[in-house]
Amino acid sequence: MRFHVWISVLLVVTLAGTAGCRKHAETAKGDPLLTAYDTEVDWTDAQHVIPLSYEQAQGKRIFYQQCVWCHADATPAGPSNRSNLTPVPPLLNDGATLNAESDEYMLNIVTLGGTAMGKSAMMPPYGRMLSTGEIRSVIAFARAIAQPSYQPPARAGSQYSAK
Amino acid sequence: MPAEEMSKLTGRTRLIFAASSVVFLVVLAISPFKDFRREWKQYKRSYLRFAQGRADTKKLLADYHPDIDQIWLPEMNVVDRCTTCHQGMTQASLADRAVPRAFRAHPPIPHNVRDWGCTVCHRGQGPATEVAEAHESTLAWEQPILPTRFIQASCGTCHYADLPETPQLTRGRELLAELNCQGCHRLPGIERSAMLGPDLTNIGTKVSREWIYKWLKEPRTIVDKDGNVTVNGYETEEEPRMPKFRLSETELRGLSGYLSIQKAQAVVPYKIDARVVGVWSNNPELISQGELRFRQMFCSTCHSLAVTRAGEIKLIGGDIGPELTKVGSKVNPDWLIAWLRDPQDYLSHTRMPRYGWSDEDLYKVTQYITTKLTDSDLLTGVPQLGQPTEQEIQLGHRLFLEKGCASCHSIQGLNPQKDFGPDLSALGGKNASDLEFGVAKIPHNLVAYIQAKLQDPTSVNAAARMPQYNWNQSDLDAITTALLSMKGPPATSALENLVVPRKKAVFHPMGAFGEVYERYKCYTCHKFNGYGGDLAPDLTYEGSRAQRGWLVEFLKNPQTLRPTLILRMPQFNMTDKEAATLADYMVMVLQHPAANPTRIDAKQFTPAMVALGKQLYEVKYQCQACHTIGGTGGYVGPNLNNAGGWLTAAWIEAWLRNPHALVPNTIEPRRNFTEDEVRALTAYLMTLRQSISPQKTASTNARHVATQGSGR
Repeated sequence: MRFHVWISVLLVVTLAGTAGCRKHAETAKGDPLLTAYDTEVDWTDAQHVIPLSYEQAQGKRIFYQQCVWCHADATPAGPSNRSNLTPVPPLLNDGATLNAESDEYMLNIVTLGGTAMGKSAMMPPYGRMLSTGEIRSVIAFARAIAQPSYQPPARAGSQYSAK
Repeated sequence: MPAEEMSKLTGRTRLIFAASSVVFLVVLAISPFKDFRREWKQYKRSYLRFAQGRADTKKLLADYHPDIDQIWLPEMNVVDRCTTCHQGMTQASLADRAVPRAFRAHPPIPHNVRDWGCTVCHRGQGPATEVAEAHESTLAWEQPILPTRFIQASCGTCHYADLPETPQLTRGRELLAELNCQGCHRLPGIERSAMLGPDLTNIGTKVSREWIYKWLKEPRTIVDKDGNVTVNGYETEEEPRMPKFRLSETELRGLSGYLSIQKAQAVVPYKIDARVVGVWSNNPELISQGELRFRQMFCSTCHSLAVTRAGEIKLIGGDIGPELTKVGSKVNPDWLIAWLRDPQDYLSHTRMPRYGWSDEDLYKVTQYITTKLTDSDLLTGVPQLGQPTEQEIQLGHRLFLEKGCASCHSIQGLNPQKDFGPDLSALGGKNASDLEFGVAKIPHNLVAYIQAKLQDPTSVNAAARMPQYNWNQSDLDAITTALLSMKGPPATSALENLVVPRKKAVFHPMGAFGEVYERYKCYTCHKFNGYGGDLAPDLTYEGSRAQRGWLVEFLKNPQTLRPTLILRMPQFNMTDKEAATLADYMVMVLQHPAANPTRIDAKQFTPAMVALGKQLYEVKYQCQACHTIGGTGGYVGPNLNNAGGWLTAAWIEAWLRNPHALVPNTIEPRRNFTEDEVRALTAYLMTLRQSISPQKTASTNARHVATQGSGR
């Protein structure tokens, strides 16, 4: 019965070899909040925390330095300047107004200011202060916190599509 | 073997040969099969399929090749094969969330992946080609991927100077400094300030033994409505910096006994003028007048008090000095008077300014503090301790050194042990096998270790001397990030060259200005050439900005220029001479080269320019969106009612050309004004004048708060 032993030893070696061939390494799908660069509490629902990517987080930082004064109801200093302005500027999370505007339009109005785009002169131009990347990050942040939530346009027209 | 012998072979032997050749064939096939099934090759193929299913296939596959892709940067110790699987890393069109995570583009960051590699920031094993080996900690290789929520730690490994893009890291470093971690630990880049905890050389003259006992047992004394000893947990920054030590009854008795006899220099009681006491002692208004003065002097800029608002206890006020809600039950009244008159006499490096007190104010305020800011229950539960025994004192002396008290507090004649706690300068690069986990049931990795140790030092080491802190999750993560960023000295000289050091700024002027500057501790709130606090405006170029007359007036009667800000500048009761000294120095020295007030003659502004400027202000640029003139306008910038009496024309012009050249982080965007517009706007603003009305009464102050609250 020696050859039976031989065969079985060979079989074991083979099986062991193939078994070691692949081990499944499924990385656990973590809580999105734990893998986020930063978070923002939903302005309309304090229980809802929105995870932010690196770009959105940079937008959040710039928003809270530059834009919060007129585009939010509460500011780091307390009262908002919104009520002093006519026309009243939209809140940054106002999806009903901003979701319809393209990223390019938003980039232009922030860069060139209200007058250049036929809107209120009270919106100053930020093109000589913020870089295009910084302004795009603020737009990304606006999209992230929009209520109702923002749906990017179909791929054909989206900034991500490459022809 | 001869042929006839071959034929003699039995059928059984033939079978053995047949079977083993099949088996060998199979075994030989294993290797190519395994190679084909390699994880990274599967990712390669799957990316190929993914790219072919998209419209931009050609671009995505432009530099596709089926082999291992490696970023090799020998001078930085980088051998990263991550891009073998993460093939869409640099494809901008793959930024979409719909793209599978492994192929998604890297978010735009200031560093290019080809120049930096991946593991420099993300850690993990660069050379590995299997998912588990590359990302997770295995026995052979111990640096797992850094979780995204601590990724800012990697920025801090080279950027010792704070970056605006990494708020969490900055907060963590602030916490390390604020909580005096550098008292016991070596922490690179965190400077050890002159005073960590207060000097205790004379503590026996300030407080009772019972109070010390209570403080050592539970430094937090504000109880919220649920009976918890802390208000909002750690979230209020006004919490005492003193952490909780785990002390036994005997230890409490020993330490309190030892500290209560520290009276190196007796308090010299100051006799308040008997006439003042005579007039005020029976006046029913005494306490309310004292409270009024306490408010008018803006003690709350630095100190907080607990108040009940809408049924909730809140601490209102600053966190530069200690919280004072119960200070009347803490300090000896003679000590309090002596302290207020000359704080530096008791603590030479305290940031408390030396106010110019009148006896009347001193009496009113101290009476208010000792009768109103009290709590008769503060010492409930503290035993009557009496005079300490010799044994207790000796125990206290030993504990003061052994528990690490001496690392933050000094007592004359005691030398603290150097490097009392472990050196943490290379903690962030440690492998799990270098750490002691004790019996803690936590994952064996560095992040879990740091968080467990911070939350409860005894969880990983029962004999830990480290005191107990009370964190909220975001602060815990921030401080973890800061610790993870400390990976020790850079491994290669190329990495060392990348280090962006933290700038050290010092501004200690001498002479008459230096004396007044030190007396009122201007740098506690204001910055000068990068040195000082950030509670109040940066004064580096104040001499270019403000007119001398306005400065003198303001120093004597501070008032706020921003409608949404509560005035926080205390009224120091400066003498005319002191105010003039400060103003003269600022006007002479604190100048910006682009805004030289002597270069501009106000006479050049014509009425036509003023009219044009007004037009530009109100119609073309609508500056009233942010600035107020005469009661209408926005809250964002300072009000301009007195622009002509406050600002220099040179400053206004330079500011309109480029505000960030003067104040780099100002909110005002840089506009595209023509030179004529700049001059016209300046001409207009210089015509705006309003006399500074001295802010003397509390009602003015109350109005400020009301404006703030209503949001109108």
